[in-house]
Amino acid sequence: MKRVLSPKWTLSLFAAVAVFGLAACGSQPSSTSPTPAANTAATSESAPAPAKIAGSLSFYTSQPDADAQALIEGFSKNNPEVKVELFRSGTEEVMSRLQAEAQAGQVKVDVLLVADAPTFASLKKQDLLMPYASPEAKDIPAEWKDAEGAYTGTKVMATVLAVNSSKVAALPDSWKVLTSPEASNKTIMPSPLYSGAAAYNIGVLTRQADFGWDYIAGLKANQMTVTKGNGAVLKSVAGGEKEYGMVVDYLVARAKKDGSPVELIYPNEGVPVITEPIGIMKATKNAEAAKAFVDYVLSEEGQQLASSLGYTPIRKGIAAPEGLRAQDQIKVLSANTDELEANREADKKKFGEMMGAK
Amino acid sequence: MQSNWQAAVSERKMGERRKMTVPLSLEKAATWTVLVPVAFFFMYPLWKLIALSVQTEAGIGLRYFADVITHVRTWNAIGHSVTAAGASTLIALVIGVSLAWLCAYTDIRWKSAIHVLALLPLLIPSYVMTLAWTQLAGPQGVLNRAASWLYGGPLELWDVYGLDGIIVVMGLTHYPLVYMLTLSVLYRIPKELEWAAHSSGATATTVFRKVTLPLALPGIAGGGLLAFISGLDNFGVPAFLGIPENIPLLSTLIYEEVIGFGPSAFARASVLSILLGVIALAGTGVQWLFLRKSRVDQTSAEDKSIRRHLERYRRGVEVLVGLFLLVTSVLPLLSMAANAFIKAYGLPFVPQNLTWKHFAFVLFDHVGTRAAIGNSLMLACLTGVLCVVAGTWFAYWRIHRPSFMGKVMEGAVALPYALPGMVLGLAMILTWIEPIPSWQPGIYGTVWLILIAYVTRFLILQVKSSTVSIMQVGKEVEEAARINGGRFWTRWSRILLPLYAPGMATGLFLVFLTAFTELTISSLLWSSGSETIGVVIFSFEQAGSTTHSTALSSLIVVAILLALTMGGLWKRYWQRRIQG
Repeated sequence: MKRVLSPKWTLSLFAAVAVFGLAACGSQPSSTSPTPAANTAATSESAPAPAKIAGSLSFYTSQPDADAQALIEGFSKNNPEVKVELFRSGTEEVMSRLQAEAQAGQVKVDVLLVADAPTFASLKKQDLLMPYASPEAKDIPAEWKDAEGAYTGTKVMATVLAVNSSKVAALPDSWKVLTSPEASNKTIMPSPLYSGAAAYNIGVLTRQADFGWDYIAGLKANQMTVTKGNGAVLKSVAGGEKEYGMVVDYLVARAKKDGSPVELIYPNEGVPVITEPIGIMKATKNAEAAKAFVDYVLSEEGQQLASSLGYTPIRKGIAAPEGLRAQDQIKVLSANTDELEANREADKKKFGEMMGAK
Repeated sequence: MQSNWQAAVSERKMGERRKMTVPLSLEKAATWTVLVPVAFFFMYPLWKLIALSVQTEAGIGLRYFADVITHVRTWNAIGHSVTAAGASTLIALVIGVSLAWLCAYTDIRWKSAIHVLALLPLLIPSYVMTLAWTQLAGPQGVLNRAASWLYGGPLELWDVYGLDGIIVVMGLTHYPLVYMLTLSVLYRIPKELEWAAHSSGATATTVFRKVTLPLALPGIAGGGLLAFISGLDNFGVPAFLGIPENIPLLSTLIYEEVIGFGPSAFARASVLSILLGVIALAGTGVQWLFLRKSRVDQTSAEDKSIRRHLERYRRGVEVLVGLFLLVTSVLPLLSMAANAFIKAYGLPFVPQNLTWKHFAFVLFDHVGTRAAIGNSLMLACLTGVLCVVAGTWFAYWRIHRPSFMGKVMEGAVALPYALPGMVLGLAMILTWIEPIPSWQPGIYGTVWLILIAYVTRFLILQVKSSTVSIMQVGKEVEEAARINGGRFWTRWSRILLPLYAPGMATGLFLVFLTAFTELTISSLLWSSGSETIGVVIFSFEQAGSTTHSTALSSLIVVAILLALTMGGLWKRYWQRRIQG
């Protein structure tokens, strides 16, 4: 049968790793590390010149693999002595793993980058987050960061209208197209029961005067299909099974760039936006490295990277990638984060019951 | 030692055929070698799950149970799950047994091709399978468009979305389990029995009903149970076909709860998982009812000779089987491969839109893929080896020392296969992050936790397959060996293992294949350096690069097909050499 490593064995393994790690640190040319350390020291007000940042950092995220890798590479260039360990999966898996760790009283993650503000608001309520007001956050609009610094948005991801351009001749300019007769039985959206972003969108839309639950009833009456996630929506529209979809912007821009027959539309009423916030866990064992990581993601360099990967940067004054609008050109539909967080389950339930009654 | 055994054997009472009498200490030792690992690896995580469901803010209580049980959606989901798992098992049984019988006994041609194609549904990821079915039988699918065209107006023949679609697609995904387990038992039914029945005037149908079927029951029931509990856990099919119609199954409902994220989310999810477990155990109970009366002690070598000539029906049966495999195995694979060749998803399948670049990307440019293939191979091999040893030993112990404890333990081994991968993954984290207060073995976040989770999840596949063989080998064989002075190792290596080999190999094969392409558990448990193929495919899919995920999936399926074909050819060559 399987044998579990004995504590003694583990201990010696740890010892070996520690020795090896120290040796590796010692062999690094010392000239590379002072630069970022000095940066941090200069920007944070009271800290006495901190020791060089090293050690390991556990990073959980739901960003696509290639994006997460690029982010880590960018950070490692400035902080070569921090070893970043990545866990990347769907938001659902990442959050479940984090909650299981919290349940066992052993939170192993240092920095978390997922989903939306209400999700982080819920973590804040559970007292899992460490407040950190990054000096790099000053160029980020206040609505997209927590007032107490528990979390900060990292990009602007709008939910837009995607249209199959080989089937739809006249491009619409309003969300109302989804409830119009010409789109009957040709529309699709992700299910809020399965996609956090979709749950956010429903929360926001139903809190707008022009939309409300009547709009959802209209979608239902127009025979909208509800599927598992954003990817499935894009596939359905790109593949021509449906003609109109409610889907996150970067997927549409990417597919269009690759040559898929899809068009991206920012409806004139405005769009709901999620910000994939970043936050440091209270249980972190390497707060210095965690702070440096957050700083990097929000820095000009980190935001340029986000743009080059195809996302709208959240920081003012950085150009959006081709096909997307910059953050200050997007008309945003929003709602109170705490209210969204408190009502998320009720919203989902109501949506499920409304769409379910066939 | 040896004289001890002989003494014990001579003291044996004639009535107790199945109970083996060995010195008490040995008997006890054998029990402990089963009990302790089962308790540690199977019952402990389940216990953690149960503990989670009764922990409320106000201490221990059944509040979540009351909560969940009074919810209408829960009962809807239970109803849908039982219907879907039950009905799809019936489909799997009918197809699996028929196909196994045709391949084992008749003179139908191209058997090795049929065999390989019948395994495909287990290999193709279930989301691909479902996607192919929506293209085939969706409202805008080929089937309905063809029907409308023939009818001359809009006509919907059949819509794959909904409970009926879930049942059909699940049945078609799980029939290989029945097929595999039935095949190995059919080969070992002595044909003299069938001849005897025949010469006494029984018709072909009667022979099948009265002789073949009862003797094949261990395999059929074992395969049926696996199909049933696979149906309970299946997430991919109901997620695609059930969500758009708002048909919750227990597996999708549990997923909804888990991602509810709230503090009570896990508690509610574990309550639902316990309900799911109870249904799975009920399934095991039904299987036991079927097997209760079957006392099969047939020790015969595999006999692959043709027992039934189809004569004038042969061509028709071959065409039917061919069409069936074409629709259920080849078409989904082709639709997957077709997506992998298209430059961008959604473009029409015409020559100027085709490209090899997605294959090149996953093979050469993407750093993670090769590491993932290595990890998955390693995990699948280790899981296979551990399962074949532990599973066969468990099955042997369970059959030869029947006891209530044995039934309980078999239930415990079956449950991890029935639980949704997400829930098992969570139970694994809760268990292994700190198994005993203040002891952290440090395997959380490593590839070893994935290995433990795989063994925990897939062991039942091996137990069921080995059981089929062990039940077919009479106890007398081992006793004869013992009387003749065969020691433990001699008995196992010279006599038992060769006789058990067919079932063991079936199990090893099933475990290897399922572990190789596993997705849910590894997507929850992996970390840097321990990516699996499933994790990479899942990442591509989530990043919206369907073309990359289908390219990698196609490559994997093609590689496995190549390996199977090579293995088959080698086996044929070897047999020819032996037979001179």
